[in-house]
Amino acid sequence: MIRKSGIGIAALAIGVLTSVIPARADFWSDAGAKYKGVVLHGVTESTPPSNYIKDVLAPEFEKKTGIKVQIETTSWDQMYDKAIKDMEAKTGIYDMVYIEQDIIYAYLARSFLTDISKSLKDDPSLKAPEFDETHFTTFANYFKNADGDLFGIPMEAFIKVYLYRTDLFNDPKIQEAFKKETGKDLVPAKTHEEYTQIAEFFTKYGKDNGMELWGTTAQAHTGHAASWYEFFESIAPTFGVYNWGIDANNNYAASVENGGQMNGDKAKAAIKYWLHLRDIAPPESAASTWTEVGTTFAAGRVAQGLVYGENAAWIASDAEKSKVVGNVGVALPPTEPDVLKEVEGGKGYLGYYDGGAFGLPVTSKNKEATLLFLQFIGQDSVQPDWAIAAPRITNTATYDDPKVLDMDKKLNGYYTMLKDQGKLFAGAPPFPFHAQVREATAPIFYKILLGEVGPDEGLDQMAAAAEAELKNLGYRK
Amino acid sequence: MRSNTVGWLMLAPTIAILGIFGIIPFIYVLYVAFHQWNPFGASPDMIYNGANNFRRLVFDAEFLTSIAFTMKFAFFAVLSEIALGYLLAQLFMKEFPGRGFFRTIHTLPLIVAPIVVGSVWRLMTTPSIGIIPYLLRNWFGYDLNIGRDATTAFTLTVIMDIWHWTPLVTLTLLAALLALPKEPFEQAQIDGANRRQIFWHVTLPMIRPAILATVFIRLMDALRTVDEVWMLTSGGPGAATRYVGLHIWKIVFPKTDYGYGAAISVIVLYLTLVMCWLLYVALVARRERKRTF
Repeated sequence: MIRKSGIGIAALAIGVLTSVIPARADFWSDAGAKYKGVVLHGVTESTPPSNYIKDVLAPEFEKKTGIKVQIETTSWDQMYDKAIKDMEAKTGIYDMVYIEQDIIYAYLARSFLTDISKSLKDDPSLKAPEFDETHFTTFANYFKNADGDLFGIPMEAFIKVYLYRTDLFNDPKIQEAFKKETGKDLVPAKTHEEYTQIAEFFTKYGKDNGMELWGTTAQAHTGHAASWYEFFESIAPTFGVYNWGIDANNNYAASVENGGQMNGDKAKAAIKYWLHLRDIAPPESAASTWTEVGTTFAAGRVAQGLVYGENAAWIASDAEKSKVVGNVGVALPPTEPDVLKEVEGGKGYLGYYDGGAFGLPVTSKNKEATLLFLQFIGQDSVQPDWAIAAPRITNTATYDDPKVLDMDKKLNGYYTMLKDQGKLFAGAPPFPFHAQVREATAPIFYKILLGEVGPDEGLDQMAAAAEAELKNLGYRK
Repeated sequence: MRSNTVGWLMLAPTIAILGIFGIIPFIYVLYVAFHQWNPFGASPDMIYNGANNFRRLVFDAEFLTSIAFTMKFAFFAVLSEIALGYLLAQLFMKEFPGRGFFRTIHTLPLIVAPIVVGSVWRLMTTPSIGIIPYLLRNWFGYDLNIGRDATTAFTLTVIMDIWHWTPLVTLTLLAALLALPKEPFEQAQIDGANRRQIFWHVTLPMIRPAILATVFIRLMDALRTVDEVWMLTSGGPGAATRYVGLHIWKIVFPKTDYGYGAAISVIVLYLTLVMCWLLYVALVARRERKRTF
């Protein structure tokens, strides 16, 4: 009887306590309660990492917080067009905008972005316990100001790598034919000379054997900025021309006469090398941007090529989209003999480290709710699945996750390369005039591609055009 | 007096909308056109620079080239659309099985967004994956490559525009043809006029206002085309399809040269008005004057 009444009293006490003490859920539901029903709008480029946010992370966040997130994934140009218009006109449509690591300098110069580090310090109730800025890879430095404050949550970071077809490179018949023709073993190229030989060999091999096979990719669109980028960010650095050949410390000189390198001997050698590759690449190369280069490789139309790492995962593992699954090798881009040493010594870079972050425009009408979402996508726990769906790594802990290690094997060590040799790559130079100089010089660059101007003369004209634009913009005195 | 007030009140919403969305932005564009303004420059301030932007464009080879290409594009596209649209309208006037179905199918391109039209045409014309290069190669041994050949790229932008907009011309001219009275045609036949004479002396004069209105609409559209061409060629190869709309877009957005972009926009608007006026004078006003005498 006493025992029964004891149980009854205990049950009553528990009942009273649970009715008095408010239910304690996790941080996200507590922090999100205040903003339940808010709809956040974001705009970003339609890429695998962005689509993952839209399809997976946004719905998860909504489930946990009640805050709805609508992510608009669109083309690269449209994304910039919309984001800049919105921030310029202060309409406040977007709560999140994609910031590529080259545009960040222009956005910071215009004070478009909210200081995320400072905002979280100012209002600790918004700080998620699982979010830690120090867990980001050094790539996050591209999104920081001089004080080390973060202005964007890194969401993608990948390098532009040299992909090659292991099935072709390991084929004994092809190895023999290559040896016969060149006297060398068929292994991934380390120098430009080797790369050219392999490219020439496979283009000829494809032609002789009636195959739809060429020796190399070329991101060589004759009217789109993608070709300009391929040359200045992927090819020129491997010849030792860094920061587009513009010397920011020397009054933004671009021409050799003034101390720049845009029309230097190295740049001229680089463009001739690349134009030759373009000529022996598949016919679609003249209309290829970064996307088409990936699809060309995935379609099995080339033996090797420089491909943005964001495409590497699906090319190597998604049989629905790729014909070369299981046959993709990864290596460092080929360089001029001395360049790798120079880069390893800390001077320059040998390829492009691309990536972006989600920033919070100062014009956003839902800053607090957006800060929650940005932390949600920046926390460690969501990273491994994201890294597998799209080969991007922004947090250091992601490298050691078993799922990521498993994927690394499928990608022939892509993540390992990112971890160990990512330091050899670099993003765009910290120029706030990125798009302006590109557009001022691109028409001449297209003329070079079309053969309307010779490569030497064209680079001379480009260097002069770059300096004129820099003067016009007020950077060059 | 009272009726005037009611009239103004009825017009007020339209005037307000026109003012907010038409006149005020235009005045702002005009204002910007007289300034040097690059918000992403070292000095983001707007600086009054008189007519410098307008002076600059007279010597801007890229702008002049883009105007020349745009004129060429507008000429071929609009002329072909009018001719083809008229023929199709005549065809759809006739009774034949499935006429309603074909009329509907024919108008489908009109409901496709320009950006999608550009994407689809790009897909169809990309070497190695596109159906058009595939067929041309297999049937005629011709290698179509819009990334390398300026003429091909230009021709494709014209064909794409014709595909997209001819249905609009057909619909307008079909409506005009259906509204024509039968008597003049019967009288012409009784007088012994042949088909060609009936077309030149009866049909054409009667549908001239509809043709003129359609030409104006299509001309204005063709002069400011951007999205379709951007998706198909991005303005390339080189500057072969960098039409003036695309040129302005590149000046204003990637280059963020707002002042100069605004000046070009104003000049393009002026050129469009002049062209429409010249067409009006050539096709309507002169004849009206002749008739008066």
